[in-house]
Amino acid sequence: MILPIGPVHPGLKEPLRLKLKTRGEKVLSAEIDYGYIHRGIERVMEGKTWQKGIFLAERVCGICSYIHTQTFAEVFEKIAGETVTLRAQYLRVLTNELDRIQSHLLANSTYFKAMEHETLFMYMLGLREPIMDAIELLTGNRVNMGWNVVGGVKMDIKQAHMDSILEIMDKFESEYGRYVEMFESGPLVGLRSHDVGKMTRDEALMARAVGPIGRASGLKHDVREQHHTYRDHMDWKVVWRKEGDNFARTMNRFDEIWESISLIRQVINNLPPGEVRKKIEIPAGDAEYRNEAPRGEVTYSVETNGNLIKNISIRTPSIMNIDACAKYMLKDVATVSDAVATYATSDPCIACTERVIILDESGRHLDFHGVHNINSKLKG
Amino acid sequence: MLDGLKDIIRKSSIHVCLVNTGGCNGCDIEIVALLSPRYDLEQYGIYVHNNPREADVIIVTGAMAEQWVDKLQRVYAKTPEPKIVVAVGNCPLTGDVFNQEGGNVHAPVSDFIPVDAEVSGCPPRPSEILEALLTVAPGAIAARGRQKL
Repeated sequence: MILPIGPVHPGLKEPLRLKLKTRGEKVLSAEIDYGYIHRGIERVMEGKTWQKGIFLAERVCGICSYIHTQTFAEVFEKIAGETVTLRAQYLRVLTNELDRIQSHLLANSTYFKAMEHETLFMYMLGLREPIMDAIELLTGNRVNMGWNVVGGVKMDIKQAHMDSILEIMDKFESEYGRYVEMFESGPLVGLRSHDVGKMTRDEALMARAVGPIGRASGLKHDVREQHHTYRDHMDWKVVWRKEGDNFARTMNRFDEIWESISLIRQVINNLPPGEVRKKIEIPAGDAEYRNEAPRGEVTYSVETNGNLIKNISIRTPSIMNIDACAKYMLKDVATVSDAVATYATSDPCIACTERVIILDESGRHLDFHGVHNINSKLKG
Repeated sequence: MLDGLKDIIRKSSIHVCLVNTGGCNGCDIEIVALLSPRYDLEQYGIYVHNNPREADVIIVTGAMAEQWVDKLQRVYAKTPEPKIVVAVGNCPLTGDVFNQEGGNVHAPVSDFIPVDAEVSGCPPRPSEILEALLTVAPGAIAARGRQKL
């Protein structure tokens, strides 16, 4: 029997159709329909200046909106062959890590909600609010920050703000460990998480899984290792695990938050003096730049004539992770509720994924079943 | 008397269905943030459960992507009376940044279903969404319930 879930469904926050092929309660395989929130964002960006494009880049995804602007700015800086001042680089790291913490907390809270553990769900959302306050202190906004520009960041940080952020971090760290322990050693949450939705390293490689989903399956790959600021100035390590189940993915996010807290402390304690923004002349050219979003690797490839964007192509992590979830994680899951929890643990962000629409010759829309599923025989 | 009793019950238990019709997700997570202990939506008797068949309030976010042109009306038709629609964010009001040449959106949402309340902002702060819900929803639902009777 084929069980459709979505696009508007209590289990999902964003529109997407999940078709589960079930026998009894057991889920045999799954298929995913995209296309509910395609807006044509890349096409809108074409023929616009970067000043307009950066606002559009921010609105590719609302949860990881920060890293999109950073990558957009850095790809233009790469075309110009310049790097921004060290202070601006440090401030970018600071905002990026704050954004990563709130995104990981939200992802884990969604997972706890999907497995009906309301207590941890509320704790996670409660922990997230002080981090949103820190982001607001720093940038002035909660979600779409408008913080990056080509050539640096918009505003300098004041000492009072740094003190407040450190204070928030101290308070956060003192509470946070308790909740991680609750999940890690809790017998009930453990039972619902261990060995559910398992994806091996080979499968993760085949599905091109990235970010915490790939790292939880043993792919030790973090693009921050190649980023010049993180590589040269920061002391941190890549968090990865081998199990590849729901527990590992959730714990991987939890462990990355410790690294992010340490990175935030490093930035604030060693913030170099100087300007935060400089003027950059952009020549004609094209370049590609990749960064580590909270969900994995995000790539921007831009072609410009020096003023306008001629062509832009954005690759976000969610599309690979959702496909990996549909093809490998949702295979032989014991119950339907476990399947929904497994889907939530792959941290789906549908707004990220949808920038392509497939038409036939007469301009009629065709259903898009994901990269792996185009030739699928499963019909719902 | 029956009307008065129904009003009290309708005002004290409001079920919300969240429909993202093609936005950037920012408004949706601000609505999720409303569930957090700081704002605690449920203390006002408002439950977000995303099920149109038992909702009183449909919160619409997003700029009406192609796929939603016929589907949003179906979601609206499935919701039982009395119902109201709250549009959250700039996208359902004007299409925001997506409503430009090349964008594949059909904003505003009010072209497709009647909208009772609008909250602008990209995204609006959770407190603004909460304020709009609390000011408009109980009264409008009760008024609409009386209308139908």
